[in-house]
Amino acid sequence: MHSEATPTAAERSFAAWADDVAELCGLVDALRPLGRSLGAPDPNATDWHGALFGKLRPQVSREPVLVAAVCGGTNTGKSLIANTLVGAAISRSLPEAARTRHPVASLPQGLAGRIDLRELFPGFTPMPWTSEEDALAVVDDDRLVWREDASGNQPARLVLLDTPDIDGTLRENWQRAELVRNACDVIVAVLTQQKYNDAAVRDFFAAAAAARKTVIVIFNMVAWPQQRERIAGWLGTFAAETGVEPAAVYAAPHDFEAAEAGRITFHPVPELTPDGASVSPAERLAHGDFDRIKFRAMEGAMRVVVDPHAGLGAWLDAFERSAGQWREAQHLLEQDGRVRVDLPTAPREIVWNEIWKWLEPRRSGFDLAVSRVYRVAGKGVMWAARRAGLARSDEERRDDFSAVELAALKQALGDFVERLDDACRRDPRRAEILGPRLASADRAAWYADLERRHAALPMVSEAYRGFVRQELDRFARENPRLVGLILTGLNVGAVARPAITVGLGLAGAAVVPAAAATAGGLTTLVHHVGDVVVGTAATLAGEGALGLTAAGLKPLIETLFAGWSAERGRILAETLHDVVLGDRLEEIGRLASAAARPEVARARRLLHACAREFA
Amino acid sequence: MVPREDDAPATIPAGETAGGEPDFAGFDHVVESLAVWSGALPGWAPARRVRGEWEQVAPRLERARRELSRVLVVGVMGGTGTGKSTLVNALAGCDVSDAGDVARPTTITPIIVAARDVDLSWLPVEAMRGRVVRSDSPAVANIVLVDCPDPDTQPLVAGGPGSRPSDANHNRDLLEAVLPACDVLLLVATAQKYRSWVVAREVAAFAPGRPLLFVQTHASRDPDIRADWRRELESQGFSVPRIFRLDGVEAARRTAAGLEPEPGFRELTDAIDAELVGRAARRVRRTGALDLACWFTRQARTQLAALRQPTEEFAAGVQAERARLEGILSQAVGTKLRSSRSAWQRLITDEVVDRWHGGPFAMFLHVIAAIGSFWTRIRPGGGVIGRLLAGQSAVPAGGSGWQAVAELGLSEAEVEQSRSILAGLAARAKVAEPLVGRARLDATRVQQTAATLLERTGQWLGTGIEQLVTERRGRVGGPLLHWIFEALFSALLITVLVRAGWNFFHGHLWEGRPVDGAGFLQEAFVWVILWGLLLRWGVFALVRAGLDRDITALVSRLPAAKLVDPLLADFEEAARDVRSYLDDGDRLGREADALAATLAEPAAGLGRLRGESS
Repeated sequence: MHSEATPTAAERSFAAWADDVAELCGLVDALRPLGRSLGAPDPNATDWHGALFGKLRPQVSREPVLVAAVCGGTNTGKSLIANTLVGAAISRSLPEAARTRHPVASLPQGLAGRIDLRELFPGFTPMPWTSEEDALAVVDDDRLVWREDASGNQPARLVLLDTPDIDGTLRENWQRAELVRNACDVIVAVLTQQKYNDAAVRDFFAAAAAARKTVIVIFNMVAWPQQRERIAGWLGTFAAETGVEPAAVYAAPHDFEAAEAGRITFHPVPELTPDGASVSPAERLAHGDFDRIKFRAMEGAMRVVVDPHAGLGAWLDAFERSAGQWREAQHLLEQDGRVRVDLPTAPREIVWNEIWKWLEPRRSGFDLAVSRVYRVAGKGVMWAARRAGLARSDEERRDDFSAVELAALKQALGDFVERLDDACRRDPRRAEILGPRLASADRAAWYADLERRHAALPMVSEAYRGFVRQELDRFARENPRLVGLILTGLNVGAVARPAITVGLGLAGAAVVPAAAATAGGLTTLVHHVGDVVVGTAATLAGEGALGLTAAGLKPLIETLFAGWSAERGRILAETLHDVVLGDRLEEIGRLASAAARPEVARARRLLHACAREFA
Repeated sequence: MVPREDDAPATIPAGETAGGEPDFAGFDHVVESLAVWSGALPGWAPARRVRGEWEQVAPRLERARRELSRVLVVGVMGGTGTGKSTLVNALAGCDVSDAGDVARPTTITPIIVAARDVDLSWLPVEAMRGRVVRSDSPAVANIVLVDCPDPDTQPLVAGGPGSRPSDANHNRDLLEAVLPACDVLLLVATAQKYRSWVVAREVAAFAPGRPLLFVQTHASRDPDIRADWRRELESQGFSVPRIFRLDGVEAARRTAAGLEPEPGFRELTDAIDAELVGRAARRVRRTGALDLACWFTRQARTQLAALRQPTEEFAAGVQAERARLEGILSQAVGTKLRSSRSAWQRLITDEVVDRWHGGPFAMFLHVIAAIGSFWTRIRPGGGVIGRLLAGQSAVPAGGSGWQAVAELGLSEAEVEQSRSILAGLAARAKVAEPLVGRARLDATRVQQTAATLLERTGQWLGTGIEQLVTERRGRVGGPLLHWIFEALFSALLITVLVRAGWNFFHGHLWEGRPVDGAGFLQEAFVWVILWGLLLRWGVFALVRAGLDRDITALVSRLPAAKLVDPLLADFEEAARDVRSYLDDGDRLGREADALAATLAEPAAGLGRLRGESS
């Protein structure tokens, strides 16, 4: 009754899903690595994944072959039954359990040339059959041994497989059997009186039932006919546990020698078979309604995928939940991951020198001459003071500043690391992503990096000079009157005392100068702890106080000092970013925004559309 | 048959090892050492885990020692349908447990089979949720047999989809409640079930310290799979001296009919009689206990092995950071000592002045010192070293914090850097609070630590400076040098006086030249002062010679004084404790293994879990 090569109605109907299936697979593949990083459940371990990637994708637009597999527990006689159904010894049977390591497929003649077995059975490496020992090979790769039916009796569209066990001590056997189960349309379930209610066996067949695969039950090793009466009870338990509604039930008597010789008698149990027919399992396989069975299995697979509780949608839910937890973790990290650096008061001449350099070309000759006189006199006074040990030279003061600044930065680094440690201790998610980084790193290298950056940072960088010039130019444009005052001989010995906060994603900064440094997700923020003091004694002699309204100049001076401090703080941010956190910040950001990925929304829309079709 | 418990003495004399009897004194020692060791470092998380496992194991070891002579409990376990109940019925001589092929699982209540005269008050029947059945069968006369529920029908994962009849199946939970009470496991398997993953998992969980009997049933129907089963068991770490093969149904039929037992069944009952009863039972129990102790140490060592390397790195880190801080301290102290030239001068001057009395030069030095001390009073000596060189206490009056230590070069930042680096290394070795403190010391700790550091450094430096000064004092201590300088100083004085006398008596009185007047004396006074200062400089040059070298030598002895230890004390202590914990664990493991190696197999037919699965 099997159909020929012309596409049938059923075939055409599931071929219409091809685009959706391909797109869904692409979306899942795109989200898969992100899901792994998020800690979302592994899709490979789910039934919907098996149905989508193992069943729908390989079969939705391919020549519809009917895949039937013999499955069951260890040493229940799967290989002997498979050999009997095929009518040839394709898979070696041994008295020892769990010896079949690889599935063996018997293909109808000519099929191997028409289809790519690698695509039909994803996850397997197809190997042409050489002997019945092939299935026993102890190798790590997932092989699928195949041969074409030599007799020509096998129906043109039927593929028959023997599979490894589903309950033995070798877990890879289970996985191989599950891959075959996902791909097949018909399962020949081999049960025994010892193994019809084992949890592992039940779980395996329950998944097949959920995917609406056609199941033919064979109770093997039955004491026939003594145990005939028992079979209904056993089947009742099995059906209630798994949801399997068997298409047919057979009993194979316990006759070890006959089985070894390839002579297995299948006694039909018509009272337990829905159609009541007493045909042999091989006949039933050969003459079943292929299209109906195939469509049922494809539709079943689709139902598994769109199932709201256990399907792809549930995985997307878990994906989004995980992303939400990462968002939360990111938020908490932003709160915890900020350190305030109490830098020493900047040597004021550093900023002032730059201002003077800017002013120089704008000043009158007389003014300059006066300034120069004062400056020379001031230098003399300073020289004398230094000799007397009452003052320190610029050089010494800068060294002092440098040492104190480095100490402050190091302390801030230690503080930051301790905060992260605490954050990890409080939240397992943050521990997961930052913990290994914090625990495995060589912290001495962090400090060395900070020291190196600090040593390499000039007191006044070219970038800062540019920033000062730019700020002053801007100021001069906006406040021509104030500049006029400056130019008539203004001098203010003012200094702003900044405090820096380096942190993750700081927002709402009170004063963020143009040069405020950001490195990766780290922001340097400058606050002012001291007011700008206008009119204090000038540090540089000759640049004496002149009357300027503080109101106009204050923001400018703050900005200039803030710019300088921001540059100092940036090296800490860089060390934190480059060597302490590495790419972790970007990673957290990536995970936190995972739920907003367009793939998620697209997958949901597609699922929704597919689900409506089956509603 | 009367139980043979009373045949053997209650205890075996210590050291009796003949005939495979374990050395119980050695065993007691190992158990006590393990008890102490497992609780030795409660602050370390891995050690707490070891302790948790010990608490699981300890009651069993204790029971093995206490209940040396009671009968053994043999738990019959295996997958559903393997014929456990049938075998139990055959051994009990009657149908004590439901068996058959009607429905799986068959056994839902554990059946405890014991002879009528065996007192079971010690058996936790309640906890096992079992039912006691008495039997007169000779096979169970001297053992207690438990027909256990199967491990393979309960769902693998709780809370599956929908409601299935098996959701109410708790056989594996029941099994796990029964097995702890068993001393020996009788593992039943068939050709279909001997490679069952679930059964293997349960056996692996309960096999440590429990000898096993392996039985293949369904002999009349299934092929002989014993060779393959043995390979499988050996790959799981078992030693398998023997596997019995029998047909339970046939055995039960023959027993019920009073016929000669089936050969496989007779082998099993003979083995039970020979290897689980009487004196053999004591041996089984002891070997089991020792196996359990070995298993525990093996588990613990396997868990701890991964921490050995991080612990060594942690300990090395403590040394490195200590050296770093000592380097900073040495550098700062050396620089400070070398730059405090005037303080040294004063100190040495005081020494010289104190020792030299009498003579004009001494008087000159005293006068200069008096003027100098006035100068000192208006310039207070600053910092620890300043205070020490000025002969004051190292710890400042106003309490101590980082400020006080800063002069020693050890700023808060430097100390925190070291502590943060060590905290990282410690975390790798899973060392955390409370074993070690935080990287940043809190205010109280800073006070304490700084005070200790200052006190120790002050004491050590004080002693060092004292030594240096004493040694230098020795150079000028002799009267010869003093009198040479007195002579040199006096020589100018005398020259001046003689010249003045010559001028007056010879020049003025004799030759009639006018008196020079005060002019000469003023001039002479200046020269005397200058000469005195030159000599004073000479004395100090002598005393000061090689001071820098000596300071370097003093500073180089600084690490030996372990001055910075209080700053890292918690880390150092933790590294030492964790290391010795690991060492002790290894040593005890070796001791337990050595003891086990001296033992013979518990009995020819009993299997044991000996190692890790491969």
